[in-house]
Amino acid sequence: MQGWKATLELGYDVRHHRTQLVHRRHSGPLAVQKSLHPEGAACHTVLLHPPGGIAGGDELEIDMTVAPKAHVLVTTPGATKWYRSTGTAARQKITLRLAEGGVLEYLPQETLLFDGARGANDLQVELARDSRYLGWDITALGRPASAEPFKAGHLTQHCTITHASQLLLCERLVIEGGDPLLTSRLGLQGHRVLGTLIAAGSGLKRSWLYPLRATACDGALCGLTLLPDVLVARYLGDTTEAARRWFETLWATLRPLWLDLPACPPRIWST
Amino acid sequence: MGKKKVMAASFTTSRRARELLWLLRLSSPALPVGAYSYSQGLEWAVEAGWMEDELSVAAWIEEHLTLVLGRFELPLLAAALRAWARGEDTEALRLNTHYLASRETRELRDETVQMGYSLVALARQLPEFSGLPLEEREWAYPVALSRLAAALRLGEVDLLHGYAFAWLENQAAAAIKAMPLGQVAAQRLLSALSVLIPNTCEAALALPEAAWCSSAPGLALASSLHETQYTRLFRS
Repeated sequence: MQGWKATLELGYDVRHHRTQLVHRRHSGPLAVQKSLHPEGAACHTVLLHPPGGIAGGDELEIDMTVAPKAHVLVTTPGATKWYRSTGTAARQKITLRLAEGGVLEYLPQETLLFDGARGANDLQVELARDSRYLGWDITALGRPASAEPFKAGHLTQHCTITHASQLLLCERLVIEGGDPLLTSRLGLQGHRVLGTLIAAGSGLKRSWLYPLRATACDGALCGLTLLPDVLVARYLGDTTEAARRWFETLWATLRPLWLDLPACPPRIWST
Repeated sequence: MGKKKVMAASFTTSRRARELLWLLRLSSPALPVGAYSYSQGLEWAVEAGWMEDELSVAAWIEEHLTLVLGRFELPLLAAALRAWARGEDTEALRLNTHYLASRETRELRDETVQMGYSLVALARQLPEFSGLPLEEREWAYPVALSRLAAALRLGEVDLLHGYAFAWLENQAAAAIKAMPLGQVAAQRLLSALSVLIPNTCEAALALPEAAWCSSAPGLALASSLHETQYTRLFRS
């Protein structure tokens, strides 16, 4: 089966003290639904994938460039679904490039990976020395009621972050349907929701771990760690809502400390 | 001709003996790199009540060996050894960076950097490595070890077995202190798990880089929660 090929290229720059979407090129079903300025300088963008789901053979490519001192927040209007596929894998590749002083918050709604889906999800973030990235990923395997959430299929999740061209973080999760890692204590422990929040760039302080660790999380397991220039929060549990609530709390705690801005949740989150 | 054959045989034997001796030395718990101070999340998993007896601790270590080491650390160790042996230093150093960037928590990263540092510092003072250039850098322990192994011309199957056994023995030692577990129980654990090493190494050697999996969410969470564990014996 021939899948959809979609690409979206977005470029942001500062014009008249506000970040504006100055470059946009797309082909196939990927679009910007809205670009808003609810907090003044920063540009909030809602990315839309009209088919609503990713099927076998689909290839989505999103490429975003943030110019010096520009500030962009990106979200999506709903969950991204990866459907069951019998044939070729689907792939999504997201590349985010931040110039000096640029800030990008990449806060999409959850990804639902159906049993039997075959997908490769690739996120690449390229940071200039003085830029900051804050993003999360919440992935749910199968349906909530299913005892065996991922019996068949294949998932590759790859996240690479470079800082001033040096490799900072490289996470690769490779899971086959029925993989022992799905039930292992060291793996997903039989849970279906895995969330990762990452803050990467200069200026992260160890003392911030105290307020961040004091936040309430009702997952099976929640933890924080600070690596050189990377802060990682992980959630392992059973509902995307709980992961989302905790990540929003962490985001609201970290944003004033690191970006010197109060939390300003995109309006679409409350609709 | 007869004499030549005898000489060839004794050369082979002595070379094999030398390899085995080095393998024992690099895999020894007495190698002063500080491995004994790390439990790699095991101490927190015990504290959390994830294991309460010999069987459950064996399951944790088995899965760590087969699902985590076997899918990333061991294939990377083999790839790094091959790169050094071929003189492809750039490739070996790419793997060094890759390994460091794949550490999922601060403790796991600090552990490999400290052990890599200690191994390189030791090698600089040993006559066998006197001509070996060992630059100042953040060394990932498996890549530093592969550097020495390549200089000693150790084979990849040998190195992987030695590395996996040293790791296993260290985990058993950590279980003795963290559980606690008796010495005999720990030896039974080695009996049960060391037989898994050959297949794990074989699978690791056959795994292409695109299939490497460095992420283990439960282990990463155990390790990050160990950072704030109230009383602890281990540094990871």
